[in-house]
Amino acid sequence: MKIKDVGIAGTLESSDISIRIENSESEGIEIELKSSVENQFGNQIRKVITQTLLDMGVQHAAVHAVDKGALDCTIRARVMTAVSRATKRNCIPWEVDRCAE
Amino acid sequence: MRRSMLYVPGNNPGMIRDVHIYRSDAIMFDLEDSVSLNEKDAARMLLYNSLLTFDFGQAEILVRVNGLNTAFGRDDFEAIVRARPDAIRLPKTDTPEDVVEADELISGIERQSGIETGSIKLVAAIESALGVINAPRIAMASGRLIGMALGAEDFVTDLKTSRSADGIELLTARSMVLFAARAAGIDAFDTVFPDVNDEEGFIREVKLIKQLGFDGKSIINPRQIEIVHQIFTPTEAEITYAMRVLEAIREAESKGSGVISLNGKMIDKPIVERARRVLAFAEAAGGQAG
Amino acid sequence: MDTESLTEETLLHSGRESARVADFLRSQGLQLDDDVEFTVVLAAQGSIAATGSFAGRVLKCIAVDPQYLQSGLSAKIVTRLIREEYILGRTHLFLFTRPANVPIFSSFGFYIVHVVPSQVALMENVPNGIQRFLRTLSTSAPKGKNAAAIVVNCNPFTLGHKHLIEYAAARCDMLHLFVVSEDKSSFPADVRYRLVVEGTKNIAHVHVHKGGDYIISAATFPTYFIKEYQEQVETHALLDIGIFGTRIAPALGIVKRYVGEEPFCKVTATYNRIMQDVLPRYGVDLEVIPRLTSGGGAVSASRVRALMREGKLEQTRELVPDSTYAFLMSEEARPVIRRIQEAGQRH
Repeated sequence: MKIKDVGIAGTLESSDISIRIENSESEGIEIELKSSVENQFGNQIRKVITQTLLDMGVQHAAVHAVDKGALDCTIRARVMTAVSRATKRNCIPWEVDRCAE
Repeated sequence: MRRSMLYVPGNNPGMIRDVHIYRSDAIMFDLEDSVSLNEKDAARMLLYNSLLTFDFGQAEILVRVNGLNTAFGRDDFEAIVRARPDAIRLPKTDTPEDVVEADELISGIERQSGIETGSIKLVAAIESALGVINAPRIAMASGRLIGMALGAEDFVTDLKTSRSADGIELLTARSMVLFAARAAGIDAFDTVFPDVNDEEGFIREVKLIKQLGFDGKSIINPRQIEIVHQIFTPTEAEITYAMRVLEAIREAESKGSGVISLNGKMIDKPIVERARRVLAFAEAAGGQAG
Repeated sequence: MDTESLTEETLLHSGRESARVADFLRSQGLQLDDDVEFTVVLAAQGSIAATGSFAGRVLKCIAVDPQYLQSGLSAKIVTRLIREEYILGRTHLFLFTRPANVPIFSSFGFYIVHVVPSQVALMENVPNGIQRFLRTLSTSAPKGKNAAAIVVNCNPFTLGHKHLIEYAAARCDMLHLFVVSEDKSSFPADVRYRLVVEGTKNIAHVHVHKGGDYIISAATFPTYFIKEYQEQVETHALLDIGIFGTRIAPALGIVKRYVGEEPFCKVTATYNRIMQDVLPRYGVDLEVIPRLTSGGGAVSASRVRALMREGKLEQTRELVPDSTYAFLMSEEARPVIRRIQEAGQRH
């Protein structure tokens, strides 16, 4: 699936993560992450973002994430919503792998 | 026990994550009025993921979806049923047909996703004059219904009045919701008390609705939970009497006697039910007298 | 402080609502800028706890009542503003604020473009916005050894501008023209740019660039956090010249900037004075060129607009090149002429 527009989801409030996703000029998934817990959880956050995107059939994207201590399920939800908004398609969470169709 | 039903806005990960610590009897995650129109999609997705991930302890989990007459309702049902809450709260229920429509939709989704049919329950929220008038038939409209609630904010708007301290404008609505619930054998829940700073007013209201017979109340601030639980806790005297009622029953059964009496008064089914209810409340309160 | 019971309101500007927000901002030492399009307010029982607004792609007028500090209200406000901007299709966002606020906006995912210490910081919501801009500049025109620059508004492009440009082009090996991109002038930005391109077609080694988001016009510079007018003018100048000197000039190897003499407009005069002081520190010389005159007055865009206002279009013939005159006579110019006549504006 190609990301055409820019999509944003999530808030800047505690326990949340703000995810902005747009088309990437280069190959693969690039993530720019701002997190107060970069050291302990930076890798995990990036991993969840990347895995969620791949699950949705998105292989090329530029992601800008501002993390305020979000748990994995929150990150997953916000990524799915941001992609939905960017592609203007209602991505169904239990058929996430079919979003690429 | 559904004494306290704590509202949580559905688009707030911090609150969803922490809500279990407040130990309300029930938690109601909201996709309706507390979520703005342009965040409905985000809230639905967040709640879907959160419900499948978090353990909320003993609390009963409800989700208030958007009505089927809105652009969001159908998608809410599709996602939330699959996230398996204990019950779905149907907002602004005006007619029995509203309930039937929701029931059938849920059945369809349960079938599609391999969930046992009938496992997701319903609570109908009465929020209009029409809803109040139809309350008795609404309460009987589906086997999924476990309760009926009053939503005062929209209700008083529909009546073209506003909420007052003593709530006279809600008197009939409260009574009707209660009668309808009792006749149908389901729970009755009172509405939210919106002024979190008026503790005295809140206590007055909780005492009133308990006296009217309500099973519980919707809460918007965790501070209100303890107050509700205390007021719903039976007194020492009530507990003692209830225990004696059950003792009398046990004694009569062991003697094979059909008629049970206590203090010269015949104990029939309603009294037994009441005794059981009192002890259930007592147990929930940890055996503390109110 | 309990923040969950705050109600959120969004205002699209009735007089009374604006007054309420303006009063709150004043109590925090700020003002409500005139060009605000959208405002969000969080209120407790009718009194404002926090507010924020935007105009175009610039977030501004964000303030939180001190008793709610540390309650996460600024996060709510900024989230709401960003969301509304995205719904409007605006995703590259900016804010101008006091440097002391940089940490909090940084924690919201904003990145510094430039800071004038103690006075103003310009931030944007992407990590590489200005870098991308500089890249497009330098790929459209190669770096020169002896490159010069002129920043122009050209509202519209006149023979006076042409004179300045020809003078500069003759004295360097590459002249970069930056046409200011804001849309507060009577001629729309894309028209102004086009007329500059057409009017300079025949001048050698001139590259016309759109100023984009990083050449900041005084008209759009937010002043809500600066009380004194003179300080507003100076702060804007320091910021704009700072960005030019530290980012744009080095990217293109610019060592000189030309500007037309400005005897009347005080704001421009202040700007030019600050350029004179500050540019040499960045290795850029400034030269002020006397204006082209004709018929006893300077050939200026404001003179052209005055004639347009008076309906004397044919008299602009001697003040503008053919390409601009052709535009003024065309269908496309009619709404612009009407706008000038109706507003009676100087700009």
